[in-house]
Amino acid sequence: MKSISELLETTLAKAPCWAEARYHRRNSQSLSVQKGLVKQAKSNLTSGVGIRVFVDGAWGFSSTSDLNPHALEKALRQAIECAKSLSQLKKSNLKKLPETKLARGEFKIPGYENLKKMPLEQKLHAVLKAEKLTRNNSALIHSATCVYNEIFEDKIVVTTDGANASSQLARNEFKIGAIASRDGEMAESHESVGRTGSWECLFSRATLDEMSDSAAKLAVDLLSAPKIPGGNNVLVLSPAMVGLLSHEAIGHTVEADFVLSGSVAQGKLGTLVASPLITLSDSGIVAGVEHSGGELLVDDEGVLTTKTVIIKNGILSSYLHNRESAAIYGVEPTGNGRAWLYSDEPLIRMRNTYIEPGTQTLEEIISSTKEGYLVDCPLGGQADATGEFMFGAQKVTKIENGKLTKMFRGATISGQAFEVLSTVDAVSKEFLLDLGSGYCGKGQPAKVDAGGPYIRCKATIGGVQE
Amino acid sequence: MSQLFKSEKEKLETAANKLLSYAINSGADTAEVCGGYGTKTKITLEKQDYHLASSDDGYSLGVRVLKGNRQGFASCNSTDSAELKEIAIKANEIAGFSPDNPHYNIQRANNIPIEAPHNLVDPALTEISLQTQKEWTQLLVGEATKDKRFRLNEGGVEIGTGISLVINSLGTHQMEADTAASWSLMGMGVEDKLITSFDYFSQISRDASTTPETIILSARKFVEEVLRNLKTGRSESYKGLVIFSPRAVLDILISSLSYHFNGRVVAETTGRWGLKNRDQQILNSQLSLKDNPWLRDRSGCSTFDREGTPTRPMDLIEKGVLKSFCLDHYAAHALKLTSTGHAAGGPSSLPAVSTHTLCLAPGEETQHSLYQRVGAEQKSFLVVQRYSGQSDPVTGDFSGVAKGAEWWVNGERRYYVQETLISGNIFQALGEDLFAISKETEVIDCDEESPTLVINNISVTGG
Repeated sequence: MKSISELLETTLAKAPCWAEARYHRRNSQSLSVQKGLVKQAKSNLTSGVGIRVFVDGAWGFSSTSDLNPHALEKALRQAIECAKSLSQLKKSNLKKLPETKLARGEFKIPGYENLKKMPLEQKLHAVLKAEKLTRNNSALIHSATCVYNEIFEDKIVVTTDGANASSQLARNEFKIGAIASRDGEMAESHESVGRTGSWECLFSRATLDEMSDSAAKLAVDLLSAPKIPGGNNVLVLSPAMVGLLSHEAIGHTVEADFVLSGSVAQGKLGTLVASPLITLSDSGIVAGVEHSGGELLVDDEGVLTTKTVIIKNGILSSYLHNRESAAIYGVEPTGNGRAWLYSDEPLIRMRNTYIEPGTQTLEEIISSTKEGYLVDCPLGGQADATGEFMFGAQKVTKIENGKLTKMFRGATISGQAFEVLSTVDAVSKEFLLDLGSGYCGKGQPAKVDAGGPYIRCKATIGGVQE
Repeated sequence: MSQLFKSEKEKLETAANKLLSYAINSGADTAEVCGGYGTKTKITLEKQDYHLASSDDGYSLGVRVLKGNRQGFASCNSTDSAELKEIAIKANEIAGFSPDNPHYNIQRANNIPIEAPHNLVDPALTEISLQTQKEWTQLLVGEATKDKRFRLNEGGVEIGTGISLVINSLGTHQMEADTAASWSLMGMGVEDKLITSFDYFSQISRDASTTPETIILSARKFVEEVLRNLKTGRSESYKGLVIFSPRAVLDILISSLSYHFNGRVVAETTGRWGLKNRDQQILNSQLSLKDNPWLRDRSGCSTFDREGTPTRPMDLIEKGVLKSFCLDHYAAHALKLTSTGHAAGGPSSLPAVSTHTLCLAPGEETQHSLYQRVGAEQKSFLVVQRYSGQSDPVTGDFSGVAKGAEWWVNGERRYYVQETLISGNIFQALGEDLFAISKETEVIDCDEESPTLVINNISVTGG
């Protein structure tokens, strides 16, 4: 790694402007099994260098998979040519990136070596076992799927203004799906976990056997669950659902590039946007939580990742920044500049986004709810510049007079994020980062995590009408 | 193959042949190499401004090996011999410990039919300078920012060239090149305190001469559609007729329906239909659906698939009757049929089954008459333009937010609604609940095509 770092520094020494060279080697492996048959067992290796320059207020970028010094110099020249061609058109007044504290040294997240040493064959055996356990859990299970993905990342970021950081981390995820069937009726369920670290990290909360059991049982239970009636309701959201809300509906609207384009969070710094019970943060490392899926020590601009408090006691207190947007707002960058591959330029992305825990227990929240629904097991979601969000949930349980009663089939919940957060009247002390597997998409994928406590709020369920 | 890519083609072919021989020499019984070369120059827009210009090129190669009934796969983004050797060994190593699966197979491909669109290259596009590309981007920005109420969040103009190659140890050799200019915009409308939803469009052109005009017209249409959403109100909750725009039809109904045409799903019996359902009425008799990979101006245009099998236009449903499933070699083996050229993927992925360009056939009624007929049936109704939600292909249930949706009362459009959810089931929607199909069709994002559909018994929950 040292020789690559020197090679990048030598290349950048020839730059007549601000420049950044980012080496990225990614080795990913993927295994999938369905109905006892291996559907996919593969290994991908991608490596190269992305060079980004800033000339008269314009960005230029070029990348190469060739680590030959001549290829790197060619990429630098191309990036400069690209930036120059745009500089006359660019309207922004920002002509130079301000000085900031940049990372130097090695940044390693534990688990990389451990995961690398474990043979892929052993991981495949675990995937085969999980699929078989799920499939054999009940006679009603028609089909089961199990997928394991892992990514080993090695990066070096060097900039002409002082960054020289090499980083290493491994991310992995384990997903189980089950389809139950009875009399032509089908129901599907998913269980997943995503971590940054070793193989053991994946199963620290639930064992492989427990995950298989949970996926199979949910699919079977959903077979007899009715469809939910639509309408505005009191909802108790699980940590995973709170994670989706924090990431999709709040997190994206406070990414400074979206804010500058006019998102609903524009002009709202310092104003009350949520219930005072709500404090929402985004951080590379979450205190007390190890191996979260979005763990990150240094971003792809060479900025150390800090904890950014986005909403403090209901008041919007910060946006998420890369170096450029931080300079526009006159604040320090928050370490949110992330790129998916060497050939991608860094964008403002979240890491671990969560609502801080409160003081009540889940039991207290349920028992004090006269009528509502407990919403759990997210199926993904999307949100808009307006803060309007949509999340899918696999499992919705009715709360009647303080007790959990009937389970319904998956539903969609929707609302305007800041309005929904303003209705929060209970926040639990139980806290989990629980987004599971999956990626955030914004032109490029990014591995993130999200979560929080259980919260009680009001939102709309998109169900059936009579 | 155009002379324009001579040296890149030779370098790609040389690397692919090396990889194939490394794979066989490392112990594979049969092997297949999928390779690609691509260049792209991109000017991107962000935060209402020009953001970044970039220029990239690169190779990628993936090798699939079979040892008996065991399969392994590995890929890299290099033509370096040492790396190619490493991935050939890795693929064989994976095959070595993978359990048997009798359906894995590699076949020799037939020649591509003469009627297929053989030339996807416009030499003029390969000669576009950064200056011209900048001028095209200025056209896009100019049109998008003419009306100050439109906020441009992201977008850009990209010019890309590519070569795709599939070879295997049984003698398959397929190669094609393509060039395209593409552009996109993502943004929203803002007026006083009103903000519309984010909206997005993308378009491609394979013809340099018509690109500037197409950029202007497509951006104008997009901005007009976004700004219309500034007039908002609330919808009522009801169960009944809902009009689905062509984009909504494709996003909600057809995307989930296509799962059931996937031959692998059929083989695994996790879909709704099986081989016994061929030539049977499975959906409403007004419905005909074709997959057409030979439409030159569409992004899904290709003459061969991920396994080198030639593609061809194919009827999936004709007047509600199931005609065909989409098969790669895996699904074909499992179902004892032959591949239909539907292996999808690229050099870094294993073949999977996917459709190319789905085209839902038009009906006979004009959109105008269709709206009138719905208005006569129902005092107020929802028109769904876009969708943000879940659609479970297994059960067919869908539920999500209707985006940019129109609320019509007494036959007139009143306003656009937010926070309105719709739910239903695709099999019922395209079966007994299909009320009408429009004569007019629309091509969405330069790929799939659909008419407007009117569906009954959809649940609408007003926010």
